[in-house]
Amino acid sequence: MPVIEIKDVSKLYGFGDATTLALDEVDLVIEEGEFVAIMGPSGCGKSTLMNLIGLLDRPTHGDYHLNGRKVSRLRPNHAAKIRRDTIGFIFQSFNLLPKLTALENVALPLTYKNISLTKRLKMASNILERVGMKDREYYLPSQLSGGQVQCAAIARALVNNPKLIIADEPTGNLDSTGSRLVMELLSEVHRMGNTILFVTHNPELTRYATRVVYMHDGTIVQDEQTAIGQVASTAKKALYKTAPTSEEDDLAGVSALMKAVPSTPSKRTSKPTAKKNRKPNKTTKKAKAKR
Amino acid sequence: MKTLSRGNFKAAWKSVRRNRGRSFLTMLGIIIGVASVVSVVSIGEGVKRQVTMQINHVGSDLITVRAGQLSTSANGRLSVLSGVHVSGSLSDKDLSSVRQTATGATVVPLAVVGGAVTGEHGAYQDGPVIATSTNLPSVLNQSTAFGTFFTGDDDQNNVAVLGAQAARRMFDEEVPLGHTFGFRGKEFMVRGVLNDFTTTPLSTDVDFNNAIYIPYAMGQQLTDNSTLPYEILVKPADASKADKTVDAIRSGLLKNHGDSSDFSVLKQSQTQATTDGVLSLLTELIAGAAAISLLVGGIGIMNITLVSVTERMHEVGIRKAVGATNRQILNEFMAEAVVLSVGGGVIGIIIAGIIDVVLRLTTTLAPVMQWQAVVIAAGISILIGVVFGSAPALKAARKDPITALRGE
Ligand SMILES: Nc1ncnc2c1ncn2[C@@H]1O[C@H](COP(=O)(O)OP(=O)(O)O)[C@@H](O)[C@H]1O
Ligand SMILES: [Mg+2]
Repeated sequence: MPVIEIKDVSKLYGFGDATTLALDEVDLVIEEGEFVAIMGPSGCGKSTLMNLIGLLDRPTHGDYHLNGRKVSRLRPNHAAKIRRDTIGFIFQSFNLLPKLTALENVALPLTYKNISLTKRLKMASNILERVGMKDREYYLPSQLSGGQVQCAAIARALVNNPKLIIADEPTGNLDSTGSRLVMELLSEVHRMGNTILFVTHNPELTRYATRVVYMHDGTIVQDEQTAIGQVASTAKKALYKTAPTSEEDDLAGVSALMKAVPSTPSKRTSKPTAKKNRKPNKTTKKAKAKR
Repeated sequence: MKTLSRGNFKAAWKSVRRNRGRSFLTMLGIIIGVASVVSVVSIGEGVKRQVTMQINHVGSDLITVRAGQLSTSANGRLSVLSGVHVSGSLSDKDLSSVRQTATGATVVPLAVVGGAVTGEHGAYQDGPVIATSTNLPSVLNQSTAFGTFFTGDDDQNNVAVLGAQAARRMFDEEVPLGHTFGFRGKEFMVRGVLNDFTTTPLSTDVDFNNAIYIPYAMGQQLTDNSTLPYEILVKPADASKADKTVDAIRSGLLKNHGDSSDFSVLKQSQTQATTDGVLSLLTELIAGAAAISLLVGGIGIMNITLVSVTERMHEVGIRKAVGATNRQILNEFMAEAVVLSVGGGVIGIIIAGIIDVVLRLTTTLAPVMQWQAVVIAAGISILIGVVFGSAPALKAARKDPITALRGE
C-alpha cells in the first residue's frame, strides 16, 4: 500500500478573474521509504502540493489517500489529529516559536496529546540528542544558527515519531554548511525507515534522494528514480551540460534547470488560468526548440 | 467538550505577565466595576444592619409621631423616597391628645429650641438644643456616661444634658460636669453627658450625639410657649399593646386635624420596612450604574484578546501545523481572557475590602461584605471572560493553518 496516493488533484486560489490554478490534475504515488526531492521553478505549485500532502490545506478537486485512507475532505479537527500523529512538517522559515526554548519548541506537538509535562520534556530532550543538539536545549531560536534552528525544527517534526516527513525547502534559508547539516540529518531519518518529501532548488541535493519529481506550472512534468549519492540525471543536465541562460531566457524567466526538463504538456492553453507574469507555453516551446 | 486545562491557565498566566502593563489596563474596567458593585452592596447592607441594630436597641414597640405623611405602601417604592422628608411640626394640642389617648404609655416630646449657644470655645453650631422630658433615656434605652439626666424637679432649673459629641466639642474637659454655657441670655449648667447613640448613616434625623438637652418646660419658658414638638416618642407599657396604642393615637390626632392625616404614627418595625425599602432601591440603582463598568471592562477584554489573536496569528499557524485542534487553540485564548477577567475580579474584591476598612475607620458607615456578593462578583468576572473572550478566540481557532501561517 503506498503511503501517498494522489489522483487528479487540483488546487485553485481565488475566484473569478483572479483565479490561480496552483495545481492542475496532479497524480502522484509515493511508496513507503522513498526519499523524494521535488524540484521546479518558483510558483510552480511545490508548496501547494506539500501543504496538501501535509494536510495543512485541502484540494479543490481530486482525491488524496494517506496510508490507504481518504483524507482529501477531512474536517479540520480530524486533519489536525492526523497531522499531529503521522506527519512531520519542516518549513523553509523554520517556524519555531521565538519565545520558547529549543526544548519547549520540540515538545510543542506533544502538548496537544495529553502527555505530562515532564514526559514531554524528556521525549523532546531525547530527540534533540538524536539531532545533535543536546547542549543547546535551553537556547532560544534567536541564539542558534540557521542550521541549528532547522535541526531543532526537524527534531520537532520527529518528536511524535511520524512515518512521513515533509520539508518545504528546508535548506532554502541556509548556507552550504547548514544545508549539509540538515540534509545529512534527513538522510539519517530516511535510513531509519521514514518516508521523506523535500522541496529544493539545488540540484546537488538530489544526491540524497531516491527519486526526483519535477514540476512546472502546477503539473508534474518528470519523475525519475535515482541512486543515493548521485545527482539526478535531469538535474545534472542543468548543473553541468546546459549552457548558461541567455539574456532572452532571463527575460522569459527560464532557469537553466527548466531548460533541462522535458516539455510541459500543452493542454494547459484550454484551462481557465489567470496567472500573472508567466507565459508557460511560449517559454517551454522555446526550450524544446533549443534542444 | 474538553474544558480548559491547567496547562492552558499556566500558559495564559505567563502571557498575561509578559504584557503586564497592557494586562493591567485591560483589567481596569473589571477592577473598577467589581470594586464599586461589591462596596456599594456592602455599604447598603451595613447601613441596613445599623438601622436594625438601633431599632433593636430602642425596641420595636417604640412609636414615633411626626407631622407630615409617611407612605408605607409596599408596592409604591418610589413614593417612599419622597415620603421620608418630614416637614412641619405638631401642636401642643397634639401632644396633649397623645398623652390622653396613649394610656399607660410613656410620652416624650422632642422640640428644637432656636438660639445661639456659647460654650467654652465660643459659639456651638454643630447641633440643636432639644427640649424634652425626663423620660427620654428610658424610652430610648439610653443611659448617661457621666452625671445624671434631669428629673421632674428640674423644670425651672437652667440645667442641660449633653450628647457625647457635643460634650467633646464644647468643653476641654473629659467630664464637663458643672461647667456652664450660655443660651438665650441664660447660663445653663451641665448636669450629665449621655453615652454615644448608635448612629445611622444616611439618616435625615437630628443627630442625638451632637444635641444639647434641656427640660421641656424650660424650653417652653424660654420661648414663651412657642416651641412646638417636631416628634413625639411613645413607649407603650406593654409591647403587645403597641398596635392598639397606635390606633388610639391616630384616631385622637385625626380629630385634632379635622380628619386629614397630615401626620404619621409609626412603629419602629414600620420605620425599618421603610428604610429597608429605600436602601434597597438606592443600592440597586447605584450598583446597577457601577455594573455598566463591568460591561465596559468586558469589551476591553474582547479588544485585547482580539489584539492578541492578531499578533499571534503566525503562532496559531505553527501550533495548528504541529497538530493543535480548533478547540485547543480556542482554549489557549479563552484561558487568557478568563485569567484577565478573573484577575480583575480578584483585584476588585480586594479593593472593595480596602474601601470597606477605610470607610469603617473614617466614617460612621460600617459596610458588611457578604460572601454572596463576593461569589456573585467572581462568577460575573468569569462569565465576562468567557462571553467576551469567545468571539476573538473563535476567530483564531477557525483560521485554517495555511492562512494563519501567512500571519493574516
Ligand atoms: N493563498 C494563495 N492565494 C492565491 N494564490 C496563491 C496562494 N498560494 C499560492 N498561490 C499561487 O499558487 C501558485 C503556486 O504557489 P506555490 O505552491 O507557493 O509555488 P512554489 O512553492 O512552487 O514556489 C503561485 O502562482 C502562487 O501565486
Ligand atoms: Mg514554495
